Amino acid sequence: MQQQEIHKFLLNYFMANECPIVTNHPGYLDVQLTIEMDKELMNRPFYWHYLEKTGGIPNPMRLTLITNQKAAPENLRGETIHFGSPRLHQVFESTKNLARYIRLYENHGNSAVQTPLLPWLCMNVKISYQCDRKRDIFKSIGLQLINGKMVEDFHNYLLKISLTPKIPDYSFTLSPLVKPKSGMIRIENYLKSVIENDDHTWADEAKIRWEKDLELLNHFYEDIEDENESYETEKQALKDQYEPRIHISFINGGLFYLTEKAI
Amino acid sequence: MNVEIEFDSSWQDDFLHKIDHDGPWGNWELFKLAIDIENHLVVPEFEGLQAPKHLPNLTPLPHQLETAKQVVENMNGKAILADEVGLGKTIEAGLILKEYMIRGLVKKVLILVPASLVTQWAQELNSKFYIPAVTQRKSYVWEQCDVVVSSIDTAKRNPHREIIYKQDYDLIIIDEAHKLKNNKTKNYEFVQNLKKKFCLLLTATPIQNRIEEIFNLVSLLKPGHLGNETVFYEKYKRDSRSLNDDQHLKELVNKVMIRNRRADTGIEWTKRHVETIPIEFTKSERDLYDSILELKNEGDWVQTSSFSVMTLQREACSSREAVFYTLKNMLLKKENPTQAYQEQINFLIKKVETVEQNSKAVKALELIQKINDKVIIFTEYRATQLYLQWYLKQHGISSVPFRGGFKRGKKDWMRELFQKHAQVLIATEAGGEGINLQFCNHIINFDLPWNPMRLEQRIGRIHRLGQEKDVMIYNFAIKNTVEEHILKLLYEKIDLFEKVIGELDDILTKLEFGNIEDHIMDIFGDSCSEGEMRIKMENLSSMIEFAQNMKKGESHAAAGNS
Repeated sequence: MQQQEIHKFLLNYFMANECPIVTNHPGYLDVQLTIEMDKELMNRPFYWHYLEKTGGIPNPMRLTLITNQKAAPENLRGETIHFGSPRLHQVFESTKNLARYIRLYENHGNSAVQTPLLPWLCMNVKISYQCDRKRDIFKSIGLQLINGKMVEDFHNYLLKISLTPKIPDYSFTLSPLVKPKSGMIRIENYLKSVIENDDHTWADEAKIRWEKDLELLNHFYEDIEDENESYETEKQALKDQYEPRIHISFINGGLFYLTEKAI
Repeated sequence: MNVEIEFDSSWQDDFLHKIDHDGPWGNWELFKLAIDIENHLVVPEFEGLQAPKHLPNLTPLPHQLETAKQVVENMNGKAILADEVGLGKTIEAGLILKEYMIRGLVKKVLILVPASLVTQWAQELNSKFYIPAVTQRKSYVWEQCDVVVSSIDTAKRNPHREIIYKQDYDLIIIDEAHKLKNNKTKNYEFVQNLKKKFCLLLTATPIQNRIEEIFNLVSLLKPGHLGNETVFYEKYKRDSRSLNDDQHLKELVNKVMIRNRRADTGIEWTKRHVETIPIEFTKSERDLYDSILELKNEGDWVQTSSFSVMTLQREACSSREAVFYTLKNMLLKKENPTQAYQEQINFLIKKVETVEQNSKAVKALELIQKINDKVIIFTEYRATQLYLQWYLKQHGISSVPFRGGFKRGKKDWMRELFQKHAQVLIATEAGGEGINLQFCNHIINFDLPWNPMRLEQRIGRIHRLGQEKDVMIYNFAIKNTVEEHILKLLYEKIDLFEKVIGELDDILTKLEFGNIEDHIMDIFGDSCSEGEMRIKMENLSSMIEFAQNMKKGESHAAAGNS
């Protein structure tokens, strides 16, 4: 993430959370937090607890986030934000938490005829291949809940469609034939089959490394009969280190009601 | 494929609940942002380093990046980092740690370092690497914090020990790991029983010396890598130096150890210039020194060990204050002192009182005024330190004291004062470790330590990465004293001062005759005559020279080997 991207991201984040932007300067952002966002980000539960008990006037904080030190005024006080900074990662986490599930309708603009909207289940996940090393794959899957059609890269399709949280006029939704719950299972199975067809030399190689080290370990403890405790510990450590694992974690997902031609 | 797939389904019920109750639903803008973030955080390849792009304010040197890459890609995260002093092992360790944290392979981390470096480690990890490392102060820290820095001496003791063994650490980092070369020690046993998934051992002292030490250290990191004990010692004699002859063993060790040498890194180092400044005692100073020297021949004193005499002698070369302080202590601490003993000491105290000026201090003042820039003065004695501070103040020169015993905060404060306000920093020996003062390039060795390593550490405070100017070292030695002997016979002979950083520890570990200080003590304390002393000293310096030459030959042979 480049500094401009970070700046843009922060701006979007605070605007989406309805925080007034006091200053939007190329070098920094000055944001007035709302009460909700103060509670979300500033980590001062005692203050809010005290305020609620005493009924005082809430005074949410103002945040100055410097995204480009060179462009920002010299004596500006604020937090310098970059890709590794804890504040940015806190905002990342918060973003993911605040928008885990969603439901949207296509804003089709047909005002003359009644337009049917088809339900889609979307799941965005991260697949991680892990041994003593790791790599991730991002997947966005869409499943149409009427005919069971499955689409990869679903998120990119959605980005091209105008969406709205309220059902547009002259629209009606079709009830899903596939229940969301079984939809989820279908997607899960699909993901598993994709993974199974992938190349897994990485896992085989990790197992070879594991076995090699295990052999060494066994050899080391050959002559030592007591003291088996540290042997067991070491053995477990090797397992934790090398054992290949695949993990599918959920990022976010939702229901989308789209016109027939949308996808 | 026979890898199990874990599918995180904890969210499903949550999602279904929202569908049933029609919300509340998230915001589309945030939903899109969350995916943007994921796309940025995804680690697309097994290979390569992610950490540098998360650390915009840190510019690692090429050899540091290469080391981190090696450890992650080819050593499976278990390595001995044995760079020569001053090449930034901490940075390498930080990079590796950060890399594993970004990849989500490491969460819980234990960092064991010498007590004096605990705070510094935690600070560096926080400020340079944005890793929320916490120093262990309360016992709940072990359980509640993910990245903990502690001294090994604290960690190995109960109740800490038990709590630590219960934690499931992903990565363990041990600084100054050469202290774990003996497998009979408590520290060794403690570390051996730790679960080490990923593990980094940091050491500046090369362990290519005794085969036993290598075996112990490597076995700690990766048991069995060098075979088991019986087989190993059947093949290699316990005390042999055959590591360097045995190509096979060398290769094995290189699989788990990375040692960058200064010469290979291509970093330009500034030079060291050394000037020895001989100083004459005044008559009264000489009188005091000689009176102390005479004690050696008196019966009562021999029993109180030659140590005291030797100490007094060295102190007399530093300041009368230092001598006085020791004398006073000798009076107070001695149980049932004899009449003669008391008289003897009071006699010396009288001598101390007659000394009216400190010749070294006069010279130091002159030098500082001439340099007209920041200067660090090192002395072995606190009394001298206090005196110098007072003396310089009398002449309008601002100075700050520095001692090893200062708390971290005070150390940093003093360093800051020195950098911004004072011209001179006066440090005692213990203050030499764990502080970097590369903004200054003049050192005055007001008196000389007997351990060359300590001298190297003094110089290392300013001659390190980041020093832009040549380093000037001024050694004060009083003519015709023990001090001059040390300087002439030991330091100058082995060219100590001109050495590149880190070369000395290489050399000293080659010599297997134990603590150099003990030898010197022995030479000066037990020699009956000047002649005997001279011969013994020459012996010692020849041995060091020998080791030096040995090393030279070896580095030719080892050229092209990492």
